[in-house]
Amino acid sequence: MQKKKSFMLLFAIIMVLTTVLSACGSKNNENPGNSSETTNKPATDATEQPAGDGKADTSEEVKIKMLLVGGKPIDYDLVFGELNKKLKEKANATVEAEFLDWSDWTQKYPLKFAANEDFDIAYTANWAFYSDQAIKGGFMELTDELIKANMPLSLAAMPAVAWEQSKVNGMQYMVPNNNPEVTDKAVLIREDLRKKHNLPEVNSPESFANYVKTIAANEKGINAYNAKAADGWKWHELDQILLEQQNEWNLVDYSMPLAYKLDDATGKIFNVYDTPEFKALVTYYKDLADNNAWSKNVVSNKNDVWQDMKAGKTASYAHTLGTVAMNLAEMRREQPDVELAIADLTPDKKKIAAISTQNGFAIHATSKKAERSLMVIDLLQNDKEIHDLFMYGIAGTHYEAVGDDKFSATAGTPNYTGFSNWGANSPMNRKDAAYPVEADAIASAWQSKVYNFDLETFVFNDANVKNEVANVGNVMLRYAIPLEYGLIKDVEKGVADLNAQLKAAGIDKLQAELQSQIDAFLASK
Amino acid sequence: MSATVNQIEKSDKAPKSAGKMQMDRLALNLIGYTFITLLAVICIFPFLLVVSSSLTEESKIIEDGFQLFPTAFSVEAYSLLFKYPTQMLKAYGVTIAVTVLGTALGLFVTAMTAYVLQRKDFKWRNQFSFFFFFTTLFSGGLVPWYLMIVNYLDLKDRLIVLILPMLLNVFYIIVMKSFMSSIPEAITESAKIDGAGDFRIFLQLIIPLSKPALATIGLFIALAYWNDWYNALLFVSSENLMPLQYYLYKMLGNMDGMRRAMVSSGAVVTMNIPTESLKMAMTIVATGPILLAYPFIQRYFVQGLTIGAVKG
Amino acid sequence: MNRRGFIGYVIKQRTLLLMLTPAVLFFLLFAYVPMAGIVLAFKQFNYTGGVFGSPWNGWDNFRFFFESGNAWMVTRNTALYNIAFIIVNNVLQIAAAILLFEAVGKWFRKISQTVMFLPYFISWVVVGAIAYNLFNYDVGTLNSILTAVGLEPVDVYNTPAYWPYILVLVSAWKTLGYGSVMYLAAIIGIDKEMYEAAEIDGANIFQRIYRITIPNLFPTIIILVLLAIGNIFRGDFGMFYNMVGTNGLLFSYTDVIDTFVFRTLTTSNEVGLSAAVGFYQSVLGFATILLANYAVRKYDKDHALF
Repeated sequence: MQKKKSFMLLFAIIMVLTTVLSACGSKNNENPGNSSETTNKPATDATEQPAGDGKADTSEEVKIKMLLVGGKPIDYDLVFGELNKKLKEKANATVEAEFLDWSDWTQKYPLKFAANEDFDIAYTANWAFYSDQAIKGGFMELTDELIKANMPLSLAAMPAVAWEQSKVNGMQYMVPNNNPEVTDKAVLIREDLRKKHNLPEVNSPESFANYVKTIAANEKGINAYNAKAADGWKWHELDQILLEQQNEWNLVDYSMPLAYKLDDATGKIFNVYDTPEFKALVTYYKDLADNNAWSKNVVSNKNDVWQDMKAGKTASYAHTLGTVAMNLAEMRREQPDVELAIADLTPDKKKIAAISTQNGFAIHATSKKAERSLMVIDLLQNDKEIHDLFMYGIAGTHYEAVGDDKFSATAGTPNYTGFSNWGANSPMNRKDAAYPVEADAIASAWQSKVYNFDLETFVFNDANVKNEVANVGNVMLRYAIPLEYGLIKDVEKGVADLNAQLKAAGIDKLQAELQSQIDAFLASK
Repeated sequence: MSATVNQIEKSDKAPKSAGKMQMDRLALNLIGYTFITLLAVICIFPFLLVVSSSLTEESKIIEDGFQLFPTAFSVEAYSLLFKYPTQMLKAYGVTIAVTVLGTALGLFVTAMTAYVLQRKDFKWRNQFSFFFFFTTLFSGGLVPWYLMIVNYLDLKDRLIVLILPMLLNVFYIIVMKSFMSSIPEAITESAKIDGAGDFRIFLQLIIPLSKPALATIGLFIALAYWNDWYNALLFVSSENLMPLQYYLYKMLGNMDGMRRAMVSSGAVVTMNIPTESLKMAMTIVATGPILLAYPFIQRYFVQGLTIGAVKG
Repeated sequence: MNRRGFIGYVIKQRTLLLMLTPAVLFFLLFAYVPMAGIVLAFKQFNYTGGVFGSPWNGWDNFRFFFESGNAWMVTRNTALYNIAFIIVNNVLQIAAAILLFEAVGKWFRKISQTVMFLPYFISWVVVGAIAYNLFNYDVGTLNSILTAVGLEPVDVYNTPAYWPYILVLVSAWKTLGYGSVMYLAAIIGIDKEMYEAAEIDGANIFQRIYRITIPNLFPTIIILVLLAIGNIFRGDFGMFYNMVGTNGLLFSYTDVIDTFVFRTLTTSNEVGLSAAVGFYQSVLGFATILLANYAVRKYDKDHALF
């Protein structure tokens, strides 16, 4: 007993010590961390300074630190050396980038903010937790004054929609990229096989089914269709085409099955899984699966589908137009005897312009160089010379300029690429000269069908329903994916099960929350 | 004190009594060879797949899957790994330095701690054991740990950050303690009567007697350091401090990412990266040195020392 | 004991206490101080407030897990898998260690021991890729063999019931070399005189293994099992994720707490949510280990962990 007591004393001392240490810790945390009070300071400083003469002061040279995602390019020193010469000239600033590798950026990126490390500009995107980071206070609010004073070029070039789309809770935290392209999906097929079997052109869900079934029946050792379903994507990879584009719906967020009709001005939200269209589509998929259109193990497939296609083991797959176009160009270069074609399964449907938050730059909440950082972003996006350098490297070394708006790759291209410079995407982007003409034709056809509507700038804020979003996402993976890939024998029952599980996961609450946000949004229009 | 007798040598010798004893040994040998052979085959088979695939052309792997023998021989994966040989050598250097330093220091502190914890005359041994063990159950998670190392200890981008955070492992301390408790207490007691201090007893008597345990735990510590990439991932950005495993991990991750990136940024993919064979080659490159070093460490726990010998 | 006695004892055992100091400091710095981060489980973390300044949100962070309808299933799966791993892995490792020590020749022992260590070095990513090659329905090695001998192919990736066996086997395979080294070291530590005495008594080799080797391994077995029990509610993420991935069809048999949480949080990167589940795992593990340790203490005080 005595022994225990004395130990408890020792243990107590240690615990007290620990608490004291961690309490000290919390104080220290705030010092280098510059928490609450200081967070807002640079923002106010920033607004005060230029307010004086309306123009930012660039008399003092500053070094801007950037946080970028992707591997450090081999010729980083070379290109950024050049870039810095120009930036110094035009904004009296130089930049230094830290690269978070593709393999681990998701882990490191939030930690850099949590530890409040020293950086000014951070790459961000809707797929890189943009709104989450903004809500957590990771980014500085970009007030109108800040933007007006420091970003004259962007202010002129960027459409209002792009700014609107990148607001979180009505506040601007991101300079989005300025890239109005349509990013709908298309299907890449084996044109040579289609011709071999005398099949009609693939341009609709029916002709695609016909193509896939014929290949599956007649070509041994080839998967008629393939997808990398093991990567956590919660939809069949054809859903964006056959469910969304085909029915002219817009899924508000791919992490939940809630959509509205594009032409519905009231923005009524519905659960797509609970529609006759979905049931019909699942029946369509089931028919394909029963005809061996894809591997029985497609949901476990970890292989790169494009590599499979190059090896002649896969006869079709779906991806964004830009990607399949580059695949097509690659195949033409490497295996000219294999003929591929891009199939648009929904050629007559309305198109939606890409959301601007797909890429962008934000300012770190505790940065003391916000104005100059914004100037740098302004130049990266809109100054032809600087834009070319940042996006493509040094002309003649990393790319060959073809006119003003195209480039062709060189042997040096791989030495400056592979990281997220896309935040600076703008109409000044150069197109690859090897880009296939048919893809260009599809792209411009799509461009002419772009549909503009009120809700396109609406962004869902899931702060109140995080749990439901998480749980609905799990149900989608567990029940929708097997159903859509035809692995559930009874379609009727499968759809019913899926919806029952969604109910249990809180889809109704999610739907109500989304609807009220949309209603509020539309009312304010 | 008799000379150290190697126990294995002994059990390998022909039994003293013939007949019945021979039969049981024969039966055991039969079981032993069959069972161990079976296990060994199961263990070596996938490794052979790895070796073979690392030497196979990428397109053949995609076509035929992994095969026991390369269907189309290629060293592309290896030449890609060693594209920047100085980087690779540097990475090996960092890993070796970290492993050697970390193992030496970690093993010493582990043994010292374990020794105190198993001393039966130390009445707080259970409480201290609990103090250590408790940390395996509860943890504050990644963020506070990261803040501790980066903001308070300021260890970021220093060699020591690869060593210090994984210096001690409760699991090793407790296993070591369990091993050490089989050392007869009489040894400590008689040394104490001779006037030796606790630290000297540990250093001069206990350490030599614990060689099999030290070899085993030392091996585990060394393997943990050798295989660690997570600390490097979090705390190292300087290219001069990148250990081998992280260097490889990064390389694969970025090549994968680069392929995706090149496609989405609209650039022409001018290189084909043999991801599958690369993964396999990495396994070989990272494992090779350990496999070469293993036989030298192995003798400590294959043959071992007996402590019975010291008893007399 | 009074204060003087306490301090007196500290002075008396100062060498031992000093010898403990490095380890105590280490765990204070790298474990106990960061442990304060457990509060994140009850907070809505933001960067402005940091670990201590973020607002409290009660049990909100736990809701997603317990309201998912999967909490019981993944908790049960995690515990059952770990129990199976503990039993199968340890039995195999002990058998391998005894046989390596007693039954085979020196060279064979050395080589086979090295070979058994090989799986340890193959990363789970590579193991997952090999498994897919082996088991996939269309071109997998297993089905090629089955169809070649005229049997029906098996659809491993769509049949959840196979997975407990596969995962237990893979775990045993991966840990065999590593674990048997530990038991080998313990066997080597056994006093050889005991064997000699038994041999003189006429015990055959099986009897000696049964009566001397195995009982002498008990302390090691108990310690290793106890250590494993503390982590019984933590799934081996690398293994489950790379073997099963996001194949929803298999989840009822293969989903463990860690994979479930990972999938759920990839889209939200919410520190508080993962802290909450981590806390849940800790509490369960703590309760289990207290019980197990209590049971061991009853049976034999010296073998308990603490």
